[in-house]
Amino acid sequence: MAEVHIIGQIVGASGFPQHSLFCKWGIHAGGAWKLLSGVAEGQTQVDNPQNEEMAFWSHPIDIHFATKGLQGWPKLHLQVWHQDSFGRHELYGYSFCHVPSSPGFHQLECVTWRPQGSWQEQLSQLFVGGGPQLKNSDLIYSGADRYRLQTTAMGKVHLQLGVLLRHFDRYGVES
Amino acid sequence: MAEGWNTDNGEAIYRSQDPIKNLKIRIHLQRITSTSVLLQQIQEPTAGHGKNLLPLATLASSRATAASSGYRPDDEEEAVIGWQEKLFSQFEYDLYQNKAACQSPLDRQYHQDVLKLEKAGGRKNLRIFTYTDYDRYTNLEEHWQAATNSVKEVPTYLTERMANVRCRRQDRRPMDGGGLKMRLITWEPSEEFIRNNHVINTPMQTMYIMGDLGPYGKLGRREQEYVLCTIKVDSNGVITIKPDITGSKGPYRIEMGGEKRELWKYTIENASVAVRPEEQEREQHMYKDLYVRHKEYLNSLVGSDFEMPAPGTLRLLVNGELVSAQGYEFDNLYIHFFLELPKRWSSPAFQQLSGVTQTCATKTLHKDSVAYFSYPFTFEAFFIQEDESEDSLPQWPALYFEVLSLDFWQRYRVEGYGSLLLPATPGRHVLTAPTWRPIELGTRSELRRFFIGGSPELEDITYARVPGTFQGDRLSRFGFRTETTGSVTFNFYCIQQSRAFMESSAFRKRMQSVLDRLGGFSQQSSIHNVLEAFQRARHRMQHVRENLPQDLITTTASAMSSIRQSTA
Repeated sequence: MAEVHIIGQIVGASGFPQHSLFCKWGIHAGGAWKLLSGVAEGQTQVDNPQNEEMAFWSHPIDIHFATKGLQGWPKLHLQVWHQDSFGRHELYGYSFCHVPSSPGFHQLECVTWRPQGSWQEQLSQLFVGGGPQLKNSDLIYSGADRYRLQTTAMGKVHLQLGVLLRHFDRYGVES
Repeated sequence: MAEGWNTDNGEAIYRSQDPIKNLKIRIHLQRITSTSVLLQQIQEPTAGHGKNLLPLATLASSRATAASSGYRPDDEEEAVIGWQEKLFSQFEYDLYQNKAACQSPLDRQYHQDVLKLEKAGGRKNLRIFTYTDYDRYTNLEEHWQAATNSVKEVPTYLTERMANVRCRRQDRRPMDGGGLKMRLITWEPSEEFIRNNHVINTPMQTMYIMGDLGPYGKLGRREQEYVLCTIKVDSNGVITIKPDITGSKGPYRIEMGGEKRELWKYTIENASVAVRPEEQEREQHMYKDLYVRHKEYLNSLVGSDFEMPAPGTLRLLVNGELVSAQGYEFDNLYIHFFLELPKRWSSPAFQQLSGVTQTCATKTLHKDSVAYFSYPFTFEAFFIQEDESEDSLPQWPALYFEVLSLDFWQRYRVEGYGSLLLPATPGRHVLTAPTWRPIELGTRSELRRFFIGGSPELEDITYARVPGTFQGDRLSRFGFRTETTGSVTFNFYCIQQSRAFMESSAFRKRMQSVLDRLGGFSQQSSIHNVLEAFQRARHRMQHVRENLPQDLITTTASAMSSIRQSTA
């Protein structure tokens, strides 16, 4: 049995068309993995930067996993949402990243995309917001059925993750 | 003075998990020959005549004999002081005997204590006394101390504000699970709230060990009180002692001001009762037990085993991500990619070695159009080292990909081909691979591509590297025209696993590449065998040499020397 600690934060997001963003996140790991402690999903506050482009959340992540194998290394999946002035929420982007497998501090940038609707939908999105969302959120972190999607590029989410590994060397793992 | 003084009176920090009430400090205070002995002698005749001497003179006369003999009982004092143990000073002793002076409950408590002491026969300590955390002095001390010797120093604005921050014994309610129900934001912060929250402060308890260094019989003067030692303890078991415990170092000294300039020395020792060895052992045992249980608990949750590759194989696990594609001419890009496993590589049957991303509309970033895919993939492959002597070097898996674009009428165009080798070292790798696409001579084909889509394509994508069908020694692409298009960014997290890596690390750290290490597995042993054989042979030779008759060696030696001479 080997252990992984993931300690870090969701720093913020940049490159989105509007401000007032928040982020829902979750961590997904394979069957051989067991969550020992920590919260594996969460949601940040709404951040509305005044004078700069990037929104900052500084949302903490602190998770402890134990595993029997390398299969299903944890993945972090993210959803960026926008809260408009009427308090409505619209999806701004889906993203995912593998939790780095090498120990140490990692500064990551996760690019995001969102489903693109038909041109009528795009037009209405332009004026009233909203837009299509995924029915199944596991499509964010699996590649199998992606070809069905028509998406558009959105902004980036910035992450800082520190990874601590334990006992992997005992099983001849180099990462 | 033969012994060195300890001039370093900075603070020292100790950490302890024991309850703080076990802390005991021994203070030893001693007057060294007053520097004013000479002065006294000079002054004495005049002092003797002076009628304006204090009533002490009568006392002093009786003591004078003792003083001349060089020792007075109050010149030396030792006390063992527990944490927050109150020892009254002369001043306090006198003060608290008078009930009228007592106002606060603490004062009244002290009054009781003093009365009790009085009944028991007076206080034991003379010069050494303490101010505990509850005493007024501690508050005052924290309130304001001059930081410089300037006469006109006034507290700064910040000092005044900080004075309101009580760094000690706070009543802060612990944040528990009910924290979420609390309001997150205080819209109208009160004065009290500001005081408690604007500075992060760990609650701290303070204690001062003081020395009353006044002349005998004139104890109890505020200006003669000196701080011998300050001890601060916070709730995390951090003990700050200023100055540090005098261990092997020399004692501290205090030189008093005034015309007498008396010199005092004192030492601070840790007099806490040490843990008995058997108790310590028991504690260690308990901890060990705890860890074992924790481990068992983890094992019961997860299981103690770990999946391992078969012996002699290298397992390569690539957690990858197709991040983005940038710099392409058309919009709505998608990427088709697959992994090629060279000879001696295999992968589990369920493994998918190819993928197609979603179609992504680009956005403009720094004058470049980018498409974000954030497409996850995981490859697992095994490399089996069969025979090292066999022909060429082993090959590493390669990733081939093609970028395509889809337009409004659902026609696609080839935007680029590319390939890369999977990283051979474990860890994180961000790779950006440039791509190209084949073109035909003449504008006609380009016009056609622009207006109605469709363009020349590779029949076999592996042509992006060495084609699969290629045989021979020179790969020629003469006559093949391409145009550089954009690039694709990948993110790889490579993990390698092998039983060979479990071998002792010192040996393998010298090895450079994985293949060396893997290959070295059998090589290592053969080298080792050779070395061992060599050692054995050497030992045998030495052994033989020792057993040889002495004269034989000398004769050979002389023969050698004669030969050398002859050659010379």
